[in-house]
Amino acid sequence: MKYLKSIFVLLSIFNFISCSKDSIKPAVDYSDVLSNSTNQVIINTYKDLNDKSKLLLIAIDQLKSNTSTGNLELARLAWRNSRIPWEQSEGFLFGPVDQQGIDPSIDSWPVNVVDLDAVMASPDVLNKTYVDALEGTLKGFHTIEYLLFGENGNKQLAEFNTRQFEYLSACTQSLNGSTQQLFDAWRTEGQNFGKNLIEAGKVSSIYPSQKSALQELVDGMITIADEVANGKINDPFVQSDILKEESRFSANSKADFADNIRSIKNIYLGSLDGSGSIAGFYTLLHQSKVSLHQKIVNQIEAAIAAIESIPGTFTTAITLNRPAIQFSQDQVRALQLTLESELKPFIDTF
Amino acid sequence: MRIFYAVAIGLLCFFSCADEDPINLEKVLAGGSTSVFAEFSNAFQFPAANLSPIELQNHRRGDVAFESSFVTAPSQINAGLGPIFNQNSCVSCHGKNGRSPFPDSENDLLGLLFRVSIPGINIHGGPKPVPGFGGQLQTKAVFGKKSEVSVKMNFIEIPGSFSDGEAYSLRKPIFNFDNAYIPLPGDVMISPRIAPPVFGLGLLEAISVEDILKHADPIDLDKDGISGKPNYCWDELSQSLQLGRFGWKAGQPNLLQQTAAAYLDDIGVTSPLFFEESSKHQIQYDGGMDDPEINNELLSLTTFYTQSLAVPVARNQDDPEVLSGSKIFDKIACGKCHVRNFKTGTHREFAFLSNQHILAFTDLLLHDMGDSLSDHRPEFEAQGNEWRTPPLWGIGLTKIVNGHSNFLHDGRARNFQEAILWHGGEANQSVLNYKNLSKKERTALLKFLNSL
Repeated sequence: MKYLKSIFVLLSIFNFISCSKDSIKPAVDYSDVLSNSTNQVIINTYKDLNDKSKLLLIAIDQLKSNTSTGNLELARLAWRNSRIPWEQSEGFLFGPVDQQGIDPSIDSWPVNVVDLDAVMASPDVLNKTYVDALEGTLKGFHTIEYLLFGENGNKQLAEFNTRQFEYLSACTQSLNGSTQQLFDAWRTEGQNFGKNLIEAGKVSSIYPSQKSALQELVDGMITIADEVANGKINDPFVQSDILKEESRFSANSKADFADNIRSIKNIYLGSLDGSGSIAGFYTLLHQSKVSLHQKIVNQIEAAIAAIESIPGTFTTAITLNRPAIQFSQDQVRALQLTLESELKPFIDTF
Repeated sequence: MRIFYAVAIGLLCFFSCADEDPINLEKVLAGGSTSVFAEFSNAFQFPAANLSPIELQNHRRGDVAFESSFVTAPSQINAGLGPIFNQNSCVSCHGKNGRSPFPDSENDLLGLLFRVSIPGINIHGGPKPVPGFGGQLQTKAVFGKKSEVSVKMNFIEIPGSFSDGEAYSLRKPIFNFDNAYIPLPGDVMISPRIAPPVFGLGLLEAISVEDILKHADPIDLDKDGISGKPNYCWDELSQSLQLGRFGWKAGQPNLLQQTAAAYLDDIGVTSPLFFEESSKHQIQYDGGMDDPEINNELLSLTTFYTQSLAVPVARNQDDPEVLSGSKIFDKIACGKCHVRNFKTGTHREFAFLSNQHILAFTDLLLHDMGDSLSDHRPEFEAQGNEWRTPPLWGIGLTKIVNGHSNFLHDGRARNFQEAILWHGGEANQSVLNYKNLSKKERTALLKFLNSL
């Protein structure tokens, strides 16, 4: 997943085996940063995802009961809105989302169109239980997107039918189940996965040290920067193949990419509103690292701005505005490089 | 792709701090120069640290392939799923390149599958396919087709105790099969298998046959109770029997074939190496109009991805309790089969795999593990009770990477200790020795395993 320069790997190993005698460095407690990242950013993002996916169901059911152009637009807007916290959660794709196999139910791609057509043509009763048992490529965000927007993003009201509405509703109920599972897995009142980060270094945590929990967070940021620059942008762009674009039906790719970078921003600043918590991840950069902090903040903002200012849709820009895509990719890569070559090695010295 | 600085870690044999004993890097760098330090969930997802820029690019392309979800043909992207399959992507079984947990639901078996055969051998001396089922049970099907079977799981708890009186309990899974699309024959032999981690495999492939055979002692000539038997399996490419290295019974000779077989049997994706659907001659067969469904390039890239992943370094190797556990590991003869050290040979294609000192803790040979672990199903030279020693590198990270600590060929063990206690056959004496250890010693040994 990550393409570290060897030199950084080497530094990591040096830091790992270097003079880590406790007597050399006084122990620092990072639990405030870990608690804040968990409670203020991760759990709140998953809560928002769960709330927004419920609103999506309301909008879909509204469309089902009253099929109008206005309700179709509202349903599409609700899909975009629910997509925001999901994309903003991709900076921390570790723990239950992966370990409980939730990710494929939420965000499988591509859509299995052949099987979807076969489901539609079948006499099967379409409900949540039915969809829950299907493959990830027949449910989740992209299947809902395909049904709401259509192959070319311009699906007309007349192209919808009762069967599709039943499936949309069942699919979204299944999505609700997955987002609820994810939220419950993390929160204190549920399975409390969050305690692994908060209590890192204690026997109650899977993380042997606070340092390894911090490395988990910084590596999550690097992973999504890499994924955006070298996967999500790169594959359709370099191959000039719009079929490789993930959120093509909804033309939502620019928002997806920008929200992925905001996922980094949220963890880094320790809040969802961009204000910067007093216990944000960035506070680990003490006074000697002020310039690094400023550099990261600037690069995050530059990456978001570059993505959002790609003219038109990402799909059209692949053909018509390639320099703008190249520029945004460069900005994300610059951020990735800083996280990888400056922030991570710094955390490795803890 | 960013600039890549090749740094020869091997030159840095020792690193020392003032007033401290030097740390021998060779005791830490489990994957030689491929190693990375990582103690978080992506620990098994790094490219080998010594790849060239071109290799790094190919690794990335292989990464994409490894994560790709296949869908039913025809499709403009990732076509070729099924018609019968176990999962729709490599990563569905090998989450974060790691080990599948034992499934907690019969509805989604995750990385658990079942190999099948009937008595006798095929023309190459391998397992004889079951008419109508082939060599593996596909528990899923594309829409409108029928999966081969459904699986039902039950468990038996088997109590036991240590010499000091402390009790333990082992979980034995019992699998039953129903909803078979045609009846399974009465003499079918069924072997459950869990998906293992996929990092470091290129290094295991790079060990010379001679070095592996040095550890072999099939008829126990040295009378130490440990045999070590090579498996020889059919190599499709060379059309000959070759030393088996991969799979729970060393039934695959190399990673290209291992990968192609997984594409075919697990995902239902045909390739130039295995271009006939596993469902051929079955009612689910799709006619094969699109075979092979992936080309040589994609097969090679996915294979290369498994060859070029970094091995995470061992941790806390200077911790007194870990050191004590390491000594106990040797004292009770775990290392007789879980051989610590190997040096890879010169790899024909990939310099980054050549001449690496590795700490894989495997001899890649078959050993009798006793009746309790037997699947009662032979695979080439391997009998039901014989299993290839699995590598132990990285096992201490399983909980962080995959969120569980299920081990052994079918994931039955719920932690390291249960995995040890299930050992039988050639390992009987080692297990007896383990049971006779004090609580403190047992804890130290487990801590050592957790440091790998």
